Amino acid sequence: MFRKFGPNDIIRNALVAHPKSTFFIYESRVYYNDKPVQSGSFGSARLSYYVVAGDTNAQIGVVAPLGNVSLYEYNIDRIKSISPSAPTPNQTIYPYLTKDGSKSSFKTVIKASSIYNNEFDFGDTLAGIYPMTASIRRDYITTPHDSTTGVYNQYFVALKNKLNLYGVRSRHYKVTSSYGDKSQQTLNLIHIPSIFYGQRIRPGSLSLKWYYSGSLIGELRDTKQNGELIQVSGTYDGVGDVNAANIGNVAGVALYDEGLLLMTGSWDLSNANVHLRAGDTASKPQWIYWGAGAHDGVNEGTVNSGGGSITFTNAAFELSFEGTTKTQVLTMYAHANKGKVNYSNNPTFIEYGQEQLQQTSSHVYEENSKRLIKNTVSSSYSNYSASFKRQVYISKVAVYDVTKNLIGVATLSSPVLKEEEQDYTFKIKLDL
Amino acid sequence: MPIKSFEPLNPNTDITTTRTFLHEVVPVTGAIVSGTYGVFTTENNIKNYTHGQFQSVYDYPYLSSSANHIFDITMGYDESSALSSSASTQNSKKINMYNQFSQLLLGYTGSDNTVRVFESDLVLDLTGSMKEVYFINFSRLLTKDQIKKGSVEIKLGRGKMRGAAGNAGCAFNSATGSSDMVITLTDASASVDDTGTFNTLGGDYGVLYDAGGAGATDTGIGKGIIFYQAGVMVLTASIFSSSNGNLDDFWKYEGNSWSVTQSMMTGAISASCDALRQRIQSISFNNTTEINSTIYFCRVPHNKFNYSTNPTYITGSKLRVKNTSGDPSVSYITTVGLYSSNNELLAVAKLSEPLKKTPSNELTLRVRLDY
Repeated sequence: MFRKFGPNDIIRNALVAHPKSTFFIYESRVYYNDKPVQSGSFGSARLSYYVVAGDTNAQIGVVAPLGNVSLYEYNIDRIKSISPSAPTPNQTIYPYLTKDGSKSSFKTVIKASSIYNNEFDFGDTLAGIYPMTASIRRDYITTPHDSTTGVYNQYFVALKNKLNLYGVRSRHYKVTSSYGDKSQQTLNLIHIPSIFYGQRIRPGSLSLKWYYSGSLIGELRDTKQNGELIQVSGTYDGVGDVNAANIGNVAGVALYDEGLLLMTGSWDLSNANVHLRAGDTASKPQWIYWGAGAHDGVNEGTVNSGGGSITFTNAAFELSFEGTTKTQVLTMYAHANKGKVNYSNNPTFIEYGQEQLQQTSSHVYEENSKRLIKNTVSSSYSNYSASFKRQVYISKVAVYDVTKNLIGVATLSSPVLKEEEQDYTFKIKLDL
Repeated sequence: MPIKSFEPLNPNTDITTTRTFLHEVVPVTGAIVSGTYGVFTTENNIKNYTHGQFQSVYDYPYLSSSANHIFDITMGYDESSALSSSASTQNSKKINMYNQFSQLLLGYTGSDNTVRVFESDLVLDLTGSMKEVYFINFSRLLTKDQIKKGSVEIKLGRGKMRGAAGNAGCAFNSATGSSDMVITLTDASASVDDTGTFNTLGGDYGVLYDAGGAGATDTGIGKGIIFYQAGVMVLTASIFSSSNGNLDDFWKYEGNSWSVTQSMMTGAISASCDALRQRIQSISFNNTTEINSTIYFCRVPHNKFNYSTNPTYITGSKLRVKNTSGDPSVSYITTVGLYSSNNELLAVAKLSEPLKKTPSNELTLRVRLDY
């Protein structure tokens, strides 16, 4: 029983959503959306594997990679064997495929086409590893690009064109402007993978907070929605005064489409000394140190105490923003008009116990034309059958393509009773 | 993409489709299924429902957002089974459960449209009927498009329970404490080319044979079936029947000591699920994801694409890439744009590194679109 969709029955539109993400960075750990540490059966949870005691080839997985999103969230709290000869069996899920003519591979394997072509035969198994995770990362760049020595940072050099292109939004983007030469400045680059924001970070939603000993000492927001990260709170002016002299200063820029935050603000946010640089001694809190410990190799053990006590754990940072995702949605209206869709091919639609065939032989095949439809009309009285009416219970709507191939099935949560004189329209939505 | 020099694609020679099978190895250890996340009756990764029709198993305490649902367990018997009796607990639910799986996976038969009965072979001829069965429904997260044929293995303990459920070391070893009562079932006779499988309403299924070994009693005999596309494993309860070894203490809990028959009749569905779960030593299979791709061979002739309209291509009214006017024109290809017949940009493919293009070379760029 096919019904054709009419000209107004199929609608395509895009659903725009703004998922919010919050990252909190403390003690070299990144917490995503306030998700706490979860302990497992084999040890505390971190984004790494632990070695099993007595079996150096076996490692223990994690419960939830802290501060990360994990593809499929596979391999929760499992033991992984890194050698086929390890006594501990491998308990992790891992993907593999076989090299064939389609030249499919994993990105971690096919770093160069020559490796794929020369080092693997057809029929070889190429294996990957789960979990596949993503989190924010910080790069502290002291030498962005020194043209005299040739020393450069690959991320900064790759971004030069983009920064100059976005210079039309704000001069703060420009690599070289009256605000300084970024090639010579110390930079703080925050990478945000696109899985957290979708198509772009929503302008106006960014917030970067600097906490020292639990107190907020400064916040940046993109209040102008042009990418400038403007200080909106903070009371220290470099002397210890409380006149908030740095409010309104631009401490960096945001690349909304690329998911990058580039900070150059090097004014003091507090009079305190804090250890935030690997191998270096304490310095005053500044925006170029924001995010220290976010997968950048900085931790309590790598900073230099300079003979005093380590104050790394006094610093905490928070990043929040909204992303922008566009989901294509196909809406279909399937009509069951009155007088139609009132028959079922389900075997139980027919009264039980009737002969299906009138007669059959090598020459004749004739179905019984007098079979009765089962009366499913509900009666208000016990031991009494209500009068027969044509009715069906609709439980599914199937969607076919133009050549009548079944391409989708929408199942109702509970069957809908359709009587002969009733009209129904089923609204089917499909996220593409 | 400054350059707008189109090169038409010939659908017959420049476009082809391909399909890749991506597999994942999925091991499920018995420790996940029972024992790791609490003792029996307070296992945090096992979810029971008030309707009592099945039990859900997670790989971590299910109240955690990190937990994944890995499979559901239930059981049932056919109405013609000897266990079907009004005296049986949840009798109608157990029959309905069997019928529902049978309807979905096998369909109906005969002129009076009766539901089929599961069989432990590849011919639905009522030989080898499995009328009392356990069902294990694997999550779509684990099975993806389908389970890979020939990759399924399940190990089950067949020994007596040494103590009541919930006690340490209670499960499935033999009375003497040895572990030689483990039965291994595999679908090794099934193959990805569909040999060793049978197609029904619920897709292809293969037979789980007793693979032999220390705990084997019926090597080569079918003990269950696995539906690859549906991700449903059906195990006959006769694995634990006394004909295959004395299993009086199939399930011990709260003073009860039941055989498998008693547990299926007297116990609720959840009790049978618990009993089976305690006996699962391991399950493993490989799943399959089909990746369909279209490949576009974008051909770059020797006399085309040697110039760019990129603004940086010119400096001081001269081509940046040429030193003398007599040099051949050179370009560096970084991007391939795929356009519709109306010249609308549909997709962009980026090269990992720019390719040098001169009038003396030709290139074919292979662009693959997965979906």
